[in-house]
Amino acid sequence: MITVRISFEKKNEASYISLLDLQRVMQRVLKRSGLPVWHTLGFNPHIYMTFACPLSLGQESECECVDVKTEAENPDFAQWKDALNAIMPAGIVITHVGPVQMKADLIAYACYRITYPAAAAAVLDQYNALESATVEKHGKKGNKIIELKDHIPQVEYTVDGDSLHIELCMPAAQELNLNPSLLTGFLEDQFGLPAASANILRKKFLTADKQLFA
Amino acid sequence: MFDPKLKEALGRVQKPGRYTGGEPGSVYKDKEKMDVRFAFCFPDTYEVGMSFLGEKILYELLNSHENWWCERAFMPWLDMKAEMERLHLPLYTMESKDPLTAFDAVGFTLQYELSYTNILAMLDLAGIPFYSKDRDESWPLIVAGGPCACNAEPIADFFDVVQLGEGENQLPGICAEIEKAKKEGGVSKKELLQRIAKIPGIYIPAFYDVEYYEDGRVKSITPNEPGIPARITKAIIKDLNEFAPPTNFVVPMVGAIQDRASIEVLRGCVRGCRFCQAGFLYRPMRQRDASLLNKAAQDLCANTGYEELSLSSLSTSDHGQLEELLDDLNEWAPKEHVSLSLPSLRVDNFSQSLIEKTTKVRKSGLTFAAEAGTQRLRDVINKNVTWDEIEKTCTIAFNAGYTSVKLYFMMGLPTETMEDIEGIAETAQKVVDLYYSLPKRGKGKGVQVTISCACFVPKPHTPFEFVPMDTEEMLRAKQKHLLESVHSRKIKVNYHDSTTSFLEGVFAKGDRRLAPVIVEAYKRGCYFDGWEECFQYDTWLQTFADMGIDPAFYCQRPIGLDEVTPWSHMDYGVTHEYLVREYNKALAAQTTQPCNRACHGCGANHLLGGPCFDYSKNLV
Repeated sequence: MITVRISFEKKNEASYISLLDLQRVMQRVLKRSGLPVWHTLGFNPHIYMTFACPLSLGQESECECVDVKTEAENPDFAQWKDALNAIMPAGIVITHVGPVQMKADLIAYACYRITYPAAAAAVLDQYNALESATVEKHGKKGNKIIELKDHIPQVEYTVDGDSLHIELCMPAAQELNLNPSLLTGFLEDQFGLPAASANILRKKFLTADKQLFA
Repeated sequence: MFDPKLKEALGRVQKPGRYTGGEPGSVYKDKEKMDVRFAFCFPDTYEVGMSFLGEKILYELLNSHENWWCERAFMPWLDMKAEMERLHLPLYTMESKDPLTAFDAVGFTLQYELSYTNILAMLDLAGIPFYSKDRDESWPLIVAGGPCACNAEPIADFFDVVQLGEGENQLPGICAEIEKAKKEGGVSKKELLQRIAKIPGIYIPAFYDVEYYEDGRVKSITPNEPGIPARITKAIIKDLNEFAPPTNFVVPMVGAIQDRASIEVLRGCVRGCRFCQAGFLYRPMRQRDASLLNKAAQDLCANTGYEELSLSSLSTSDHGQLEELLDDLNEWAPKEHVSLSLPSLRVDNFSQSLIEKTTKVRKSGLTFAAEAGTQRLRDVINKNVTWDEIEKTCTIAFNAGYTSVKLYFMMGLPTETMEDIEGIAETAQKVVDLYYSLPKRGKGKGVQVTISCACFVPKPHTPFEFVPMDTEEMLRAKQKHLLESVHSRKIKVNYHDSTTSFLEGVFAKGDRRLAPVIVEAYKRGCYFDGWEECFQYDTWLQTFADMGIDPAFYCQRPIGLDEVTPWSHMDYGVTHEYLVREYNKALAAQTTQPCNRACHGCGANHLLGGPCFDYSKNLV
């Protein structure tokens, strides 16, 4: 039995599907595809699936993945990709299907592109001038105070016509996982820049030694 | 990419996936190439609307026409409605995201009386005037269908077209007329309505005048246009096998209430329970062949990826080939990890083999509708179920490992006394006692019996349309008495709020004079009336009072057997004489056998042009 990684984009309509809903969607799509994915044993067998590093509701991504298992010998992964793309909901595009190379726990950073209206530049300059920017992170084990400046000392941005882009990488490991919404939320609270005007796109994952996670 | 305003709204609301579309199975077309664009509106939330089989049937049917595009719209929940109003986002469809005003026709399904204000809210969000008379050719045609069309009078003035009966031929007929008129050009709204009126089962409210007596009763309902029939006969599909059930569903990604594959095995019901409006509206009973159903079910599961299949109808165990169908389904379903569920089972023909065939994959809870607590009252309502049958069924179920049973009852039924209410508690207690008397019961497990008690609402087109509904005080007293009659912690009692039932009763039997009340209540903030947290009973009562309308006149007054009712111009196949006959039998506690055993002459056979069943064969 081999573990297969299905890599996909999650954009537009699909960015509004929560992880719980996405699991059900994937379960049904995989079932529909008729691909030889492995089912768990037991009284209520279901397709074995694990998702790496869930994405927040409303954010988009080019680097999501779900791992499944198969007992098929020499599966034709190009055919898997086509079969799945034919039945995916709007906004999900399968980019790659293949045997797992790296374990999901190697993910250390997630890199994002945040797009704002160009007028946000003034606010970002204000952020960059700050000495300290603390936010409260709500987690399962209670709330934690995070110093954003430890992770994003300066927000680098480029203005492109009416919009402005920020590229940044944030910790995405088991011990510390920081959501870019901490930054957009801070900018709304402190400077009145609506978080809803930010478009957050996850571009890639990196390992601890800044290698591309695949 | 979404419109920035929509994106902003989505960023602020709960479960934004309800407003985005793009689900597997949703249909996208090039709007530039369309001749007819139809917006199918469900006047409740996405989760409720996506559970509705009728929408799936008509969505697939309309979209099978290459040049028509049927899209979906739902009532946004409170937070999204507020965001849309704040951002001036008009109500849009899930597929193209175009506002409802961009469509040729906007159709509402009338499933429940308490969704009427939501229809106004949806029109309002789309910027569409409420009254048909205020809309010229530049507005979409506003149409409505569904069970509440059988007395759409309280909301009739809002609609251009109302569809009585089954929509499979009717709705494509309307779209074809729209397409034809658009291609001709210059066809007035009135001319278009004249043409649509010729389609079977079509009711154009503007073509009828209603006169009233001084005491408020209806005096007459007469057509005001040449060629318009005095009574409209509902549309019917004579042979259900001509319309295979839909094999493609839009599969919701955000949990719908009924999120499973579902095939309609039969339509109508042979039982003739006197309180049941559906049982009278969908006559005669017609069933689909087992082979057709099996194929459709298999295709549907393959196309959707669903792992649960429900065989739906008003009374699934009355399907003549049910055992055969279950055998066919069990050939492939377990292998595909698909479990079968049979809602609407009857207590009186539930069998050991049925339970074995439905629980191969997963065991779900068991629900029975006993409806009334004593045999006398069950005879009055013609729910031909006996304690012996309940006992037999529960024995089978408990022996098969079930430990929880839900029993449905109604209170406020005609001729009901406190003794009948005590009978509800006694029936539940007997089920509990039965459980503990069985040696084979689940080891170490207790039993849970849930009594779910609704308030009876007399509905048009039933033998109980003549009876007054119980007042709030009467229903409250009965609910209190029921609670006092239950003495076991194994029995849980749920009951329904009598105030929403009262409003349901008013609208169910209401007339056209209620339209301004509904508009005014909506303007005062009433919508989502069917949702407890939104229902504003005091606002409703105040609105009725301010408008000089007595709501009790509509539902708490006995209706004369010879009275002209607001719905008397609507013909669902069952004759008035039959309803009177059944009403009199009810008062005498006489039962009527299921109509596949013997024809009782309700009149619905005329819809088929011959007998409903081949009585020479033994169908029982």
